[in-house]
This record gives sequence, structure tokens and C-alpha cells, in this order.
Amino acid sequence: MRIAIDTGGTFTDIVYFQNSQFVVLKVFSTPSDPGRAVIEGLHKISPDPDVVVRHGTTVATNAMLERKGARVAFLTTKGFEDTIAIGRQARPKLYDWFQPAPECLVPKQLRFGVSERVSSNGDLLLAIDPVELEIIVNNIADAGVDAIAVSTLFSFANPESEIKIAAALEPLGLPLSISHRILPEFREYERASTIVANAYVAPKVGSYITTLAANISKVYADSRLEVMQSSGGIISARIAAAEPVRTMLSGPAGGVIGAYKLAGLAGFDQIIGFDMGGTSTDVFLVDATGPHISNESIITGIPIGVPMLDIHTAGAGGGSIARFDAGGLLRVGPESAGADPGPVCFGRGTQPTVTDANLVLGRLDTDRFMGGSISLDRDRMLQYMEQEKGSLATVEEFASGILRVVETSMEKAIRVISVERGYDPRDFTLVAFGGGGPLHACSLAHALQVPRVLIPALPGALSAVGILLADTMREYSRTVMQTIDADLEETFAELERLGFNEFETEGLAGKSFRSVDLRYRGQGYELNIPYGPDMASAFHALHQRRYGFANEGRPLDIVNIRVRVAAPAETFEPPRQEIIDGDGSAALVGTRTVYFDGTPHPTRLYERDKLHAGDTFTGPAIISEYSSATILPPGDVLRVDAFKNLVIEVYA
Amino acid sequence: MKPQPVSPIELAIFKSAVHSIAEEMGAALRRTSISPNIKERRDYSCALFDRHQRVIAMGDHMPVHLGSMSHSVDAVVKSLKLGEGDIAILNDPYAGGTHLPDITLVLPIFIEGVDGPSFYAASRAHHADVGGTFAGSMGPCREIYQEGIRIPAIRLVVGGETNTEILSLILHNVRTPEEREGDLDAQIGACRVGEQRLKDLVAKYGHAKVNELSDGLLAYTERLVRAELRKMPAGRYEAEDFMDSDGITDDPIRIAVAITFDPDAGSAAIDFSGSSPQVAGSINAVYPITYSACFYVFRCLLGDDAPVTAGMMNAITVSAPAATIVNARPPAAVAGGNVECSQRIVDVLLRALAKAAPDRVPAASYGSMSNLTVGGWDERFHLPFTYYETTAGGMGARPGIDGIDGIHCHMTNSLNTPVEALEYAYPFRVRSYSYRKGSGGAGEFKGGDGLIREVELLADAQVTLLGERRKFQPYGLSGGMGGEVGLNLLIRPDGTSEKLPAKCSIYAKKYDLIHLETPGGGGWGVPEIG
Repeated sequence: MRIAIDTGGTFTDIVYFQNSQFVVLKVFSTPSDPGRAVIEGLHKISPDPDVVVRHGTTVATNAMLERKGARVAFLTTKGFEDTIAIGRQARPKLYDWFQPAPECLVPKQLRFGVSERVSSNGDLLLAIDPVELEIIVNNIADAGVDAIAVSTLFSFANPESEIKIAAALEPLGLPLSISHRILPEFREYERASTIVANAYVAPKVGSYITTLAANISKVYADSRLEVMQSSGGIISARIAAAEPVRTMLSGPAGGVIGAYKLAGLAGFDQIIGFDMGGTSTDVFLVDATGPHISNESIITGIPIGVPMLDIHTAGAGGGSIARFDAGGLLRVGPESAGADPGPVCFGRGTQPTVTDANLVLGRLDTDRFMGGSISLDRDRMLQYMEQEKGSLATVEEFASGILRVVETSMEKAIRVISVERGYDPRDFTLVAFGGGGPLHACSLAHALQVPRVLIPALPGALSAVGILLADTMREYSRTVMQTIDADLEETFAELERLGFNEFETEGLAGKSFRSVDLRYRGQGYELNIPYGPDMASAFHALHQRRYGFANEGRPLDIVNIRVRVAAPAETFEPPRQEIIDGDGSAALVGTRTVYFDGTPHPTRLYERDKLHAGDTFTGPAIISEYSSATILPPGDVLRVDAFKNLVIEVYA
Repeated sequence: MKPQPVSPIELAIFKSAVHSIAEEMGAALRRTSISPNIKERRDYSCALFDRHQRVIAMGDHMPVHLGSMSHSVDAVVKSLKLGEGDIAILNDPYAGGTHLPDITLVLPIFIEGVDGPSFYAASRAHHADVGGTFAGSMGPCREIYQEGIRIPAIRLVVGGETNTEILSLILHNVRTPEEREGDLDAQIGACRVGEQRLKDLVAKYGHAKVNELSDGLLAYTERLVRAELRKMPAGRYEAEDFMDSDGITDDPIRIAVAITFDPDAGSAAIDFSGSSPQVAGSINAVYPITYSACFYVFRCLLGDDAPVTAGMMNAITVSAPAATIVNARPPAAVAGGNVECSQRIVDVLLRALAKAAPDRVPAASYGSMSNLTVGGWDERFHLPFTYYETTAGGMGARPGIDGIDGIHCHMTNSLNTPVEALEYAYPFRVRSYSYRKGSGGAGEFKGGDGLIREVELLADAQVTLLGERRKFQPYGLSGGMGGEVGLNLLIRPDGTSEKLPAKCSIYAKKYDLIHLETPGGGGWGVPEIG
């Protein structure tokens, strides 16, 4: 039996199959020790000793966010100790004289240089002096650190120096993060930053996972713990503990895979995901090749080079605050009222937010918000909206302005991941989830000319669904910097052996997928292409698509090779409800006045739980459920499919 | 006539939409360019202009291009009658440009049924070589004729077709023609992205409405600036600072400024009278550079997300006497005006501003981009190479907070080239890259430290340095001490070394080491004793 458990800010979601149905449970999260909620959830499920628990964890992310990670020592080539702090020598804000210094996870006194040098083609130019190394190891032992990160220049081309350093550090008994093992790729700052981040979260994640695994086996004797990694694949608890940098986006990755898998079942394989929460909004794109992976993510200001699903975040959500600036312009966000004090209508906040604007316009229900667990104070909200509306005539005008402005920033975020990368949003289905996604999805679809919106079943537990359905996966890479005709068979085979051995340890049979990062000679950026005889033509075609030109006469270089070893999750087909043509009237619970484009419309209210597959109706309508509400603007047509997804045809 | 106020909501959406177009142009340029200087270091800018050539949106790109790009559009409009499908090219610093490596492309946007261009899209990129005496085109020249090919405003694209004769002429005058061609193509693409997206906007709103919103956006920016200027104390605030030398004589070069605030009118007048006459070396700034520096300083006084539009400068006048270091006339050499003089102009402006608003102004930052250009023959690929890079220094201390170590400030924000990328691409071995400890000025708040970078050459090469703050320290404020001056050394394999002038071009041998130490930032406030 397989159970997915995703730690969220408020709830920990538990999803599993029973009688070929999804079962969803929610328990309150326990932020001081997230594992307690996991165990509590497991206790609620009837025991089955042979259980696989798949976990979406926020321990690594939170250690980074709160900067509560380990005291890390950093070792690198002598003369380059400061590079981890210098970064790319650019300031984060162009026009802010008072910006704080970018934070470095390694304090000055814990950066150590070792005399050694490898050249770009892997020649060892200067070998390590064991005496010097011993002195450094002693200094580190005296410095009282919790973890150690090692990244020397060109270690991926020749790991000899790092192997010696690792061997000398082994006796200290501290978690070691070694660059050629975790990220053997060029660009020394981004690599070192990744290795340091790994060391920074390693003690915390390591002890969390070890304790959790032990506690789970107390409940289920033959259990196994697995963890969702940021790239959308599952890894064993052992690897997650050793390479926790791979779990920075564990939960959000679940959301991407959940949206991708459920949309796929519904028949849509090209999607733009739109997950709007309280303080921010995540967007991502999936095309025929699957969800996009990035090797240049930045997490809380720190570059991370291991593969992560390419999730773009906009600083606007339901709690974003609206205000007029000194020039009289309406601004929404990036300041957020968050959970405390929260939107005005929650009872404590005093600054109007996006949620308040939705309430003004009739889009939220005062009694049924979060299943009635929060009652919204409409009068209080109206009073503050009136006060803050500036030169605008009515609170409705103010509220619809707030929504238009916030939707503009979301539109911008989606353009960044689609149009700016050569994709036309008209070829995609917008999959909306999170508390705010369904509220704004149709309006955004109109703005971007996206023809269809999908509100998946279980939008409140989509991350856990994705974790449950994900494949087991390991990713390996190496910078080779060779011409395209180079013989790389041996290097590929070496990476594959690593993967197959690891899968064997877990009792899995993996399949290998080879790819290469190619670029035109002299260019600074690469495109990932499946490895094979026609990779050159595939590269030119993708280059044409992404960048608008291709030059078949220009020589190509292979910068990195990549191997992904995957064991697919057992296939799953959720039960289909029989389609019965209907108009949804059984789910109709009332009508209310709702504003669309500044005009009030009498609008029907539906409860999603009561809709049946085959129900079809035209907006204006609101479909509410526990964690959200879907706004169906006038003229758009909603149909409930066999999986109980809401599929909305958007008409321009 | 005062423009009608437009809805604060419409305006917010329009501001976001046009800014997003400029950002999309920048993304297209970065993605499709060939050279590391544009792709990795991001030395480029894209902007949109209204029918009066006033900037309405600019991407968050290079500060030194702020405000000066409209001079390029002006120059194009003055000298050419552009038709639909045309794209103009220019780099002449004396007719709309800044220095020769910055090549600007201007595309007029035509709206159906309207005579003449209704908007303009422009892209500017720093090209790694535009010919001239020195590889990389940033050398110590004495006349603009030595600095590279000088392109007045001419049509590179006519009716949608590239003018191959013009292109060929340009490419025959540069050292790396293939790279230049690719980068120019990327610039053309970026302009077309701007054109397409702006036309979409016109289709959505209507032409009259877009004009109204553009005017509204300029008026809004003007209101923001005037609100800020009303907070300034009335009076005239003067300051001066000096550049080390022009690289030919050792004479200091004075830059003087007086800023006069009129809080009642919400305006400021900036006057550079008293600045030194233009010099024989290559550090002269043309007027658009001086204007950019002023634009930048006042842009920083506003909030972080104020839009960059021409409305900003409606409340500010900039006067710079002709034939001086801050408004050079032909045939003065100007390659360094963009990178070195521009930084000093900012220093002088801040020094004057600190007298009016001491709590809002940082001490002087490193004040020199320490430009290093290396050109030669790469045996590994049997090809010539040209490498250009700037190295950051220490940020000046701020009232209430230390300066940042080793970070680009003010008029530039280009990234470094990763050591591992560098050694793959060029016959170099980097020997160290570190903070220059103790180089930041002491103070209640300490100036940021500069950087040390050591590059060993693995081939004979022409090495060109263009640096400043090797003689006069970045100043401290309110009793803070100045930052350390910078230093350049040539270290030979036998261990002997030679101090290199701040501005020079030499032929170095294989295995010679270039050792750069960049200046620290000034301190702020009286340092504690002991």
C-alpha cells in the first residue's frame, strides 16, 4: 500500500488509494515538528504492514527561508575562498542604495583554501600537500561546525583533489557534501552554492528523515519512507538525507506532477499550471515533453543547480495589499497581509487585500469560506475599503481595480514562462488550483487567450496526489565540454551504473534516459536534447522555437551529459463516473449579485460536491468547494468530466 | 497643455504592460545573442518610446543606458525619414550614441492610418569589439577615429530586408565579424518583439487611448519626482571630485557640480560649470552619459519600482558646458566616458546631494569599472580571441549600514564571467579571485572591500587596462575615511613585477600574470578610535 503525505502550512494532506479510489485526509500541521502530523495521519489509516510512505517535506525549504541551517565549513581551491560570497558580483536591486548585503551561508572564518589545481581538460596541475591538508582538517575540527561543503575548481573534470579532501575529512564524522558527487557541472559559483546549501540543510533534514523513518516503522513494521524531490521524482529516504538540496521544492513539485497527471488523464497534455496562494502565485508550463526542468533555480536568493521543476513565482496572492502610491497609482503587493493580520474581512487586518476585493464583488461567500471555518466580516471590510479607495467613486470600482492589477501581474508571470520562451498560450489548457487559482483562472484565460481552463478534482490536495502518482527517479550529470561527434559512451555508462546500483539497493528496476546539453560553440547557454543520432537537428529545431533562429552551419558543443534513471509508478486509472447529461440544478444552492467587468450580474451558486459528471452550464456562476471557489464569467461554458474535473471552455 | 489625469487602475495596468514589453525585448535579446558579453554579463538595454521620442518604458537592464537611449532615437529622427520595416543603427557618440562599442538599433512603429511613426522600439548592446587600434575597442586612444568604426544613424534594415552592403561594411571593420552579426540579429529580433507587442497593445486599447495612457504615465512619473523634490531643502549644493588622469598626462581632471533645489516648484537644476576641459585621453563623457548619470541618481531617490520614463526629467534640468569632460566634442576619444567618467559624475552628484540630504546618501563607491581587455590568438582553436570584463569593487558605506564588499554599483551591474567558463573559452588561468581585505574606508559604518583578481595568460596577448581611483580615493562622508585606491600589476614568471598604469595597453607574454586590485568604498561617519 502506498500513502502520500504532504506537509503544508496549515494542513498536512494524506492521500492514498483504496478500492481504486483516492482517499483524502487532512490533519493540522505541526510546524515545530512536522513529523508529528505525519504519524498522526498514519494512525488514522487502517494498518497494512507493507506500506510505502511518500513524503512531501518543507524541512529543507524552511531551514533556508528562516536561515536556520547548519554552521557550514567551505573548502575550495586556495585563492577562491571568497567566491562563495562574491557570487556574480552583481547587486540584486539596481536602484536601491540601502539594500542589504546578499547573505552568504558560510561565514568568513569558515572558508578554507586548499593548494591544488585542476585544468579545464582535467589535468592535475597542482597536487594536494597532505601536510597542509591535515592542518586545515584540524582547523575545521577546532571551528565547531555541523557540516562541511567541498567544491574545488574543475572537480567534475578530475575529482582527484576532492576525493583526497573527502578522505581526510571523513574521520570528523560530520555530514560531507562533495561537489563532484552531487553536481559535477561547470560554473564554480553556482556549483559551490548548491553544495553549500546541501550542507546547510543536511543535519536538519538528515535527523528529521531518520527520526521519521524510525517512527513510521513503529506504526508499520515493514514500512519504507520515500521523499519527493524538486525535480518531480521520488527518491529513497537515504538519498534525501544525504542530498537534501534535492528536496527544496518537494511540496510544490507534487503540485506540478499532480496537475500534469490529472490533466493528462482528462486528455490535456499541454498545460500551464496556476497555483495561487495567500502570499504568492506559482506558475509552470508542461508541453508534449513533460514538465520543464530548470538547472538554474534560485531558492531564497541562493542559486541551486540540481534539477528542479521550472516553477516561476510571482509575489502576489490573496493576501496582497492594495494601496495608492505617492504618484496616485494603484499598487497591489508585493507586501502581503499574510495569515496575520490577514485580509480586512478576517477581522484583524486594516489594509485592503485581493481577498477583500473578491468579497466586495460577490465572489466569495461570507459563511462558507474554508468550509465555514472562517467567517468573513463584510461590513468591516466595506468600511476599510471605503476609507482606502482614494479618488475612485465606489468600493466596487476600487475592488475591480485591485483584481485587474493583480491579474495583470499574474498574466505577466505566465507570459514569462510561455511567450518569452517561445510558447503560445493559445495552445495550452490553464490548470488552476490553490485557494485563489479557481477564482482568477477564467479572467486570466481571457487575457491570455487560453481557450480552456481545468479545475482538477481534489484541488486542495493536489500536491499529495502528485506525490502519490510520481515516478521514482535519479538524475546524474557531468560537464564534458566536447564536440558533438565525441564518443561519450563510456561516460554515459558510468553514470548509468551509479543509477542502476542505487535502484538495485532499493529493489527497483530502473530504465535510463540519456540526454545532452548542447550549444552553439561560443554561446553561454545550453539546451537539453535527448541523446541520439538526430540530436543536432533536434537542437536546431528547439533553438529555432525558443530563440527564433537556428544556424545549421555553426559547430555544436556538448556541454553536459545527463542520465535520468526512472522506475515508473504503477499505472493508475481513477474510476470514471458515468456521464449523464445534466444542467447541474441538483447542485444549485442560490443566487447572488456578482460583478463582472464592473457590471453586476445575478449569478447562480453551485456546490461542487453535488455536481455530477456530464453536468454542463453557462456562466455567470460560482462553484464553491471546501478550499476554493471557481468563478465562471458570463458566456463561458463549464462541463463536469468523468473524473469530476471542471472543464471550462473560454470564449473570447 | 496639462494632460488629463487618467484612471489610477488603467495606469497601473498600462505601466505593467509596457514594462513587460521592455522586459520581453530584453529576454529575447539575451536569449538570441551570441557573445558572452551580452548573454552572460547582460550588458544591454531595451526601451520603448512614444511619438515624441520620449521613453515610456525601459527594462531593468543597464543603468548607464538610462535616459541616454532617447538621445539615440532623437538622432535617428533628426537625420532619417524612416519608413515601415526600416531599422536604424548607430553608435556615434557625437550623434546619439555613448561610446562606440554600444550599438543602438531603433525601429519605428507604424500604426495603420497614422502618418509617421507612432512609437519606437530600441535595443542597445555593448559589442565586444568594434574595431579600432585596440582589440576590444576600449583602449587608450586620443581620437575617436582610433576607437573603432563610427556609425552615424543609417538604415541597417530597409523595408524589412537587411541592407547587406551596410552590414558588410560594418563587419569588415571589426575583429569578430561572426559574433557581431549574430548579436546584431538578436538586437533586430528584440526590436521586432517590441513592435509586435506594442501593436497588440494598440489593438487592445486603441491608438488614442495608448497615447493618452503614455502621457498619463509620463505625468505620473513626474508627480513622483516632484513629490520627492519638494522634500529637499531649498538652496544650491556644490561639490567636486577628480579623475586620476586621462592616461596621457598625469594631470587630475576636475568634475564640478552645483545642484539647486526649488522645493516650492518641486524642481532641481544641475549645472556642471567649472568642470575641466575635455582631455586628450579616452575618458571624456558625451552629454548623454552625463544626462544618464543624473537620471540614475534621481531615479534612486524614488522607490525601487518607480517606472523609468521621460517624465522623470521634466522636473530636472542638466546643463554641461560644451567641450568639457562632461560634454565632449569631436574628435575627442570617449570609450572610457561611459565606464569611468560616468561613475565619477555619480560620485560628484552624490557628494553634492549629501549636503542637502545627508541621511539619504551613501559614501563614494569604488568608482571604476577596472576594465580589462585581452586580445590575441588562441592556439587551441586556431582562432583570434577578444576578452573584455569589468571587475567590481567596494560599495560606499550607507548611513546606518556598512557598504557591501565586491559588488557592482551605480552605472553598471554586469555579472562576472565564471572562472571555469573563462578557462574553457580563453587561453587564461585564473589564479585568484577574492576580497581585498581592509580596502574599505573606516567609519561608523565601514565601506565595502574591493576585489583582487589574478589572470595568468597562456598565450602572448595585447592587454589593455582602463581604470580609475588609482590615485584619488573614493571619499568617505560625515567623517568616514576614504576607500583604498586600486592597483594593477604585471607579474612575470620569474617573480619580478611591474606596476602598470591605470590606463595602458601593453604586449604581455605567455605566462605573465595580470594582478588587479579594485578600490574599496568610502566609510560613513566618524570611526571609533582604537
